[in-house]
Amino acid sequence: MAAGTTTDTARTTAVAPPHLIDPVEVAIRTRAPEDPARTNRFEDTDPPRGLDLARSPRVARILRDRKFQFLLILPNQIIFWLVIGIGLVGTVDPGLNFATAITWYLWFCLVFVMMVVVGRAWCAMCPFGGFGEWVQRHTFFKRTNKSIGLGLKMPESVAQYGFLLSVGAFLALTWIEEFFNIAGPGNPADTSFMVLGIVSSALLFFLVFERRTFCRYVCPLSALIGSVGSMGSVAGFRTRDREVCQRCTTKDCMRGDADGYGCPWYTWPGSADSNLACGLCSECYKACPSDNIGLYLQKPLTSVVMPSRRRADVAWAVAILFGLVVYQQLNALVPFANFDSWLNAHTFFPHYPNPVSYFGIIGAVAVVMAVAGAGFQRAFASRDALPARAGRTFVDRTSPFRAYFLPLMYGIIPVVGADYFARQLPKFFQHLPRVPVSIGHLFGYGTAQSSLYNASLISSNAGIIAVQVGVMALGTLAAMWTSWRVAGRDLAPLSRHPRAVQVSAAGFALALGIVTAILYVLMNAAD
Amino acid sequence: MTTLIPTTTDAAGTASRHVTVLVDRCAGCQECVIRCPAGALSMEPVTWTAIADDAACVGCRQCERVCPFSAIVVEGPLAVADRYDPPLHHPVELRGNVEETRRGYDTWDEVVAEATRCLTCPDPTCVRGCPAHNDIPQFVAAVRERDLDRAHAILQRTTVLPDACSRVCNQAAQCEGACTWSLAGGVPVAIGRIERFIADHAPVPPPVVPAPVTDPLSVGIIGAGPAGLGAAFDLVEAGAHVTVYEREAQPGGLLLWGMPDFTLPDEVATRPWTQLVAAGVDLRCSTPIPADALDHLLSVHDAVVVANGAGVPIRLPVPGADLEGVVDATHFLQGSKDALMPGGDVVAWRSALGVDHQRDPHVLVLGAGNTAMDVARMARRLGLAATCVDWLDERFALARPDELAEARAEGVEVLFSRTLTELGGTVRVSRARLAHTTQRERTTPPTVLADQTDDLEVDLVVMAMGYRLDGAYREAVASAPITKRAGIHPHGRWRASGLLANPASAYNHHTEVGSLSLDREVGLWAAAAPRRERLWFAGDALTGPGTVVEAMAQGRRAARAIIDAAPTRPDRSLGAGAHGPRVLVVYASSGGTTRDLAQRLSDQLGGQGAHATVRSVAEVLPVDLAHADALVLATWVEGLVVARVRAASAMRAFVGRLDTLGGRPVALAATYGVNPRGALSELAAQVEAHGGVVVATESFGPRERGTSRVRPSKVEAFANRIAAHVVRRIPVTS
Repeated sequence: MAAGTTTDTARTTAVAPPHLIDPVEVAIRTRAPEDPARTNRFEDTDPPRGLDLARSPRVARILRDRKFQFLLILPNQIIFWLVIGIGLVGTVDPGLNFATAITWYLWFCLVFVMMVVVGRAWCAMCPFGGFGEWVQRHTFFKRTNKSIGLGLKMPESVAQYGFLLSVGAFLALTWIEEFFNIAGPGNPADTSFMVLGIVSSALLFFLVFERRTFCRYVCPLSALIGSVGSMGSVAGFRTRDREVCQRCTTKDCMRGDADGYGCPWYTWPGSADSNLACGLCSECYKACPSDNIGLYLQKPLTSVVMPSRRRADVAWAVAILFGLVVYQQLNALVPFANFDSWLNAHTFFPHYPNPVSYFGIIGAVAVVMAVAGAGFQRAFASRDALPARAGRTFVDRTSPFRAYFLPLMYGIIPVVGADYFARQLPKFFQHLPRVPVSIGHLFGYGTAQSSLYNASLISSNAGIIAVQVGVMALGTLAAMWTSWRVAGRDLAPLSRHPRAVQVSAAGFALALGIVTAILYVLMNAAD
Repeated sequence: MTTLIPTTTDAAGTASRHVTVLVDRCAGCQECVIRCPAGALSMEPVTWTAIADDAACVGCRQCERVCPFSAIVVEGPLAVADRYDPPLHHPVELRGNVEETRRGYDTWDEVVAEATRCLTCPDPTCVRGCPAHNDIPQFVAAVRERDLDRAHAILQRTTVLPDACSRVCNQAAQCEGACTWSLAGGVPVAIGRIERFIADHAPVPPPVVPAPVTDPLSVGIIGAGPAGLGAAFDLVEAGAHVTVYEREAQPGGLLLWGMPDFTLPDEVATRPWTQLVAAGVDLRCSTPIPADALDHLLSVHDAVVVANGAGVPIRLPVPGADLEGVVDATHFLQGSKDALMPGGDVVAWRSALGVDHQRDPHVLVLGAGNTAMDVARMARRLGLAATCVDWLDERFALARPDELAEARAEGVEVLFSRTLTELGGTVRVSRARLAHTTQRERTTPPTVLADQTDDLEVDLVVMAMGYRLDGAYREAVASAPITKRAGIHPHGRWRASGLLANPASAYNHHTEVGSLSLDREVGLWAAAAPRRERLWFAGDALTGPGTVVEAMAQGRRAARAIIDAAPTRPDRSLGAGAHGPRVLVVYASSGGTTRDLAQRLSDQLGGQGAHATVRSVAEVLPVDLAHADALVLATWVEGLVVARVRAASAMRAFVGRLDTLGGRPVALAATYGVNPRGALSELAAQVEAHGGVVVATESFGPRERGTSRVRPSKVEAFANRIAAHVVRRIPVTS
């Protein structure tokens, strides 16, 4: 046999003979991309190589499976359609109705836990976006090309403000919730209408716009999950080797291919520096032709501290969302109730919450945050240090004020997150046992008289205050640490007294923590 | 022409362009940066988003088209000079005049000015729009530098017909429609005219024939049209002995009998054949090859290329179609051509057509495509009045826009949204009834409005609705013709180029140039794959009626596939240049077991003298399939032992997607855990349904996949069986 003479040539067939080289390829002479490594742009935000969950064959197989996200969404989808139905036809007792019980005693709390621990875990399983996406893609999980809808792009006049539309939607939704006493919880039908409203507006946006424009720009929870979720320990889907991504000629993770859709969240694993906009849907992982994407864990708070790019929309979102939670604390106080009634009487508004006080207080808190930023700049900025000129649009424009305000707001993310979490805790601790009762009620078991219905995980005000203050203490400590680190990275190089600006930033976080903790004590005392 | 974005020539215009990068959505992937023809984009280091220099921007909007997240918007006019097109040529006396009507550039100043409009895009969409994938930016650059030799050298890599293609291509639906200016809504670079200038002002180089070898590859080509021409060029240059069998007395095919001199002069159509015959091609004219002679041809040649085109005219089956005075386009064009040639007799031809006695004879031409235009314009040159009718809406007209304009300028009446329903007359046709039609979209056929009709007095009817394939060949080779339809997920490079993102080219009546180009790619790859053992198809014979340039490009692809496969007829002794067969090992693996088996099989086959390539089902490219002499399919099996066990769905889907295996040998292997049951026989049936010949099958249980102490191991034994079928005995050369 002539095997010996041909084996060597057999190995070289991987290189196509010259006449087989695709003439199109030959004609492509693209410029060389700029190398991000030259500025160490991603050095601090890249998660440790070892924390790639997708290196486990089992995880890889799950992520590769097109049914992965469908199976995450399906249970939530079923629950939320049950919520809509039962809220409308079930008992009017909000404590006994499955719709209100599951939504307000359990779900809202769980979302916050997932936010703080993971990031956008809820977004991966969200039934609202999930439903819209199923309709938009015209499939439950298969990769097809049958998308329906207009596929428009978000107009730039709106999109340039990033997450701020989402913040606005959250303010509006919360006001509606308060006005109709939905989350109290009040009449279960109102909860149904609210959920239906969210589902239908999501569906509308999914049919009019492309990809997850709704989730990225409009969803009321998106800005909150994005900013507070940056505390999370899941970095999301990131590149394994940036060099490979830079050289990639197809960018299937962004454009989609036969195995996966292009990123619905407008995120590129090759340049993600935080988990802000990774919806954990795994499409990029499926689409990547080079198996160059991993699902990474990171140390908690990394996405708060490390990104060198500070986004103005996120900073303002933090300031405004902090205003909202402070409002929700204030509204439980007797003096506020009196003030709101007085305002309603003079503005001819039927009842709580008066929009003037609602938006006024939120605005005031945001302004206080901005004033704090300006104060830091006034107090610490060294005269010769000018922020690097970058960007021309709202999100990325630079100014001396922004140079202080933005990092300061990133630093207080943990205290804002803790505040939101603590605000949800009373309902959870006092009424969680009603969830099984409400389920039983559907089948004729469980009444408002049952002992479980009237049981609580923590019944005393003092106990709840203790937990809330404890949560705030943890959040404040975390915020002091992040503020210290953020100030050290971003503010110290611009400041006359680097150490003083760090101490002050941590002190600022501490002050916010103390104020909010005191409010919790007062609120529950008022209860 | 519909509204075009205004162009600007002055330097002051730069100020009016503005690029907005939506920093919220810009992911810093640099797809725009690496493709910007003007170098106006760079990266902002802190935010790692793109940043644009408005002053450098030329407004071509390539960045908009390639951005995966649509995060960039360009406003303002295009910074490009107006295109110069030579004015339409109006013959003073039309009758009997066969002078070429379409003019090229006459002077260097004109062509260089036009070449300067080219942006030399780094990722040129025009190259994808050209079916032959000519390196347009580079030959245009060569023209800018007044270097025609270099321009020819660049063209020669991909085309052998620059003179013909630049005259007859519908550039608006190909390269020029895909020009970045066109995609931006402007007026494209006159690529066709620049190519024509190169071809007309410097001789097109003949094929370069290597030193003869003893017993070269012998290839028979059926048909001396553009496809046969493309194949013959490459084969001759590779040293093969080429025999071309042509039905007509003259070579050229459609270029000759289908195109009048005023569109394509005869000397252009016959130029390449003169060169080929000089290079040693054995051209046998007046030698029709019926479909049942294929086997004989295969026994005397190592490979055969069927490139006999689609030459059967389509006839409209309306009442009265068999009346006297109803002819088809080929008959009309050929007769008219002969009549108008020096020494031809126009009067006799008019009399043969039966239109010599009327005072103002009127010809009705059915169809308004390019052939119909040729017929109608030819009729004008014979002194007849001509009316073309087409049931399509004018917006979706199939003729080249410039050709339509030329025909109308020559006095041809072109009626769209009409269809012929009836021809009337006693013995000879004298009357035609036309019904109105409406059509809303390009993709939907028009609706006939039977109650709205016009009657027309006619003296002659020419059916010029196009051509179809010879049915006998269809029956002889089941795997041809193919349908040119690209899959729903085009290759990433095509999407990345931005050609598919924006079909809105006003210049080209919003034809979706991108998807047309992508579909043409299917034809190119299909031409590279044999349709039967040692039998290739190219051109219209492969894809049904297409264009000259596509046929030529397909012919070249087929030729390259033949050169690479080096097939041999049964009685031929093998030369020293023979090499082992190329075996493509395709696997569907879930955990890696099957992948390992595939790799081991490949190693074994390599040891047996084959060139083995291993690919997963997801990775197989058309080029892999086209250039494989044999396939090994390795799959895991799925299902329940108690119910039904089948090959992995990915493998079944892969086989289902195959066009044809053209009689190539296929070996099947399965890895299983408990029992493979009928998985392989089911897969074998599927493979055979796709034209493969299953030569060996084997299943590998958990303990049989690796090496064993018993030699040969099961894997080795299987590889030996495959090799026995596909590896040629390689003679030891002295």
